Amino acid sequence: MKYVIIGNGIAGTNALESIRRFDPEGEIKVYGDETLPPYCRPMISHLLEGVVGPERLPVRSRDFYDKHRADAMLGQRICAIDADQKQVELPTGKTVSYDRLLLATGADPRPVDAEGTDLENIFFMRTEAQVRGMVKRLPDVRRALVLGGGLVGFKAAYGLLRRNIAVTMLIGSGYPLSMQVDETAGKMIQAVLEERGLEVRTGVSVAAFEGNGRVREALLSDGNRVACDMAVIGKGVSPAGRFLPADKIDMETGILVNSRMETSCPDIYAAGDIAECLDIARGYYRVNAIWPEAVSQGRVAGMNMAGIPTDYRGSVSRNVIRIFDLDVMSGGTLDDRDMDDTCRTVVFEDRRRRIYRKLVLKDNILIGFVLVGKIDAGGILASQVQSRMPVMLSDSELASVDLNFATIYSHARYGGTTHTEDAS
Amino acid sequence: MKQVIVSPRRCVGCMQCVVACAVAHSRSGDLPGALAESPRPNPRIHVGAGIYHEGFPNRCRHCNPAPCMAACLPGAIYRESKTDSVLVNPDVCINCASCAMACPYGVIRYRPDPLIRSGNTVAIKCDNCVARQHKGLDTACTEACKTGALVFGELDAAMKRETERVARSMTPGPEAWALHPETEPLLAHKRAIVNMNHQEEGRSSS
Repeated sequence: MKYVIIGNGIAGTNALESIRRFDPEGEIKVYGDETLPPYCRPMISHLLEGVVGPERLPVRSRDFYDKHRADAMLGQRICAIDADQKQVELPTGKTVSYDRLLLATGADPRPVDAEGTDLENIFFMRTEAQVRGMVKRLPDVRRALVLGGGLVGFKAAYGLLRRNIAVTMLIGSGYPLSMQVDETAGKMIQAVLEERGLEVRTGVSVAAFEGNGRVREALLSDGNRVACDMAVIGKGVSPAGRFLPADKIDMETGILVNSRMETSCPDIYAAGDIAECLDIARGYYRVNAIWPEAVSQGRVAGMNMAGIPTDYRGSVSRNVIRIFDLDVMSGGTLDDRDMDDTCRTVVFEDRRRRIYRKLVLKDNILIGFVLVGKIDAGGILASQVQSRMPVMLSDSELASVDLNFATIYSHARYGGTTHTEDAS
Repeated sequence: MKQVIVSPRRCVGCMQCVVACAVAHSRSGDLPGALAESPRPNPRIHVGAGIYHEGFPNRCRHCNPAPCMAACLPGAIYRESKTDSVLVNPDVCINCASCAMACPYGVIRYRPDPLIRSGNTVAIKCDNCVARQHKGLDTACTEACKTGALVFGELDAAMKRETERVARSMTPGPEAWALHPETEPLLAHKRAIVNMNHQEEGRSSS
């Protein structure tokens, strides 16, 4: 059996391990754009922050590919595949045939439509190499401009603030992390960042970057100018699947996969940030480009490729971040567009202690939550979203900062009734 | 291999395991010393209260596969094979709380700890008392537990005991009613009070 894995991120890496576990004989080839041994992509923000050095990023050893008897050809980006001939085309023009192919190419940062993006000190923040480039320039940087208030924009801004660099952030929506948290939590996050020197501007974009070789200033869409000696573009990512034959492999935002991680094309699988699969909380297909799901999807894809039928239950979007002394965890959906009249919202707020919790239930199943402060036991809620078990807890128990597994156990053992409203 | 076997319905919520755990994870190793330490030693076991205020010893299950291990960004969480324990390497942990999001039991905390020499806040969780186990000792929580809610033993033997207990409960006898789900936590609570009263009496008469 000949396996080809495109992508050496964590999805591809886990797939490789799965395949090797169940098929000791097969021939495995890995192609990847990045040349490092498998590393922890989310930790590039810690690298920017300065809490870890680059040596801490690898999550597998240098001899990982040898140990798994895989042929790794890194530093080359695959530009075409021929699904009929079951071949992958290399940049050199050479072709490599496969019996089973995994697409784990991840995603690429979305460029911005502005002039002067080729100036020095304008960065994307997606790879270790890009962040290493940023860190190298930090000694000369006083003011930074971050485009976008999503997860990447937020992490860029936070890392730079931690390095005592003044940051201006341009956000399209009204508050940061609008895809992850609700408005109340978003404003709490923004307030903490502003206390530490972040300047937020909403509803504006960059029309042009200016500078003599190196960025010095940005001209905004409202005519204002912002001085900056570094700019980070965090306007989201798009799944890296443009090279794929669209008539053979069904794509929406990402490549559509079933529970076996199979694409619409026989013997081609997809996993990780490029894959679009069932979102458990939302009940529809969605790309949830997060590390733990990439791990799971890679494992499941690898097992199926190696002939061990395994189903993936679907993904749940979730994130946990620490912003100075404020902790935030969110999972599932908090989006009004996902709500209907079977949904109810439970809120607990203690402004003085900077605690805020909002939970959304649909037909008494938890489909989303955001916790600000006291996040230690938040995994209990995340697993409720994943399991889709009807919630037996009362609203006040569910939203309590003292939520303990004891309550869930006790309801399951002694309760036997399902609460729809608070038992007072 | 011996392991910690939890029987939540036996827990009376006395919290002695919590204290014993914190002491076992202190530098001094005794209660007065532990109280004087800064930062304060952290218990790794958490006793919660159920809907009838019955106790529940919430402790790391050392799952296999462990979701926290899969979620750990820097690869700080690993399995120690000798005691089959899921452990955190504090020198690698970056306190990102990814494991908090992954743990369905909510048993991981993030605090400075007297055993963490760097002084950093890191993920603190049950380590199955590996240090004690390597010395041939039982885990601290099981040693402290008086009610049999936490027992250090062979799983097979515990399963057999439990099977026999269930079998006995099928035949009507004086013990059978105690298994009725509604009465049991109340009974456990009552027993605890009775026990406490006994102790009180013992103390005042002596």
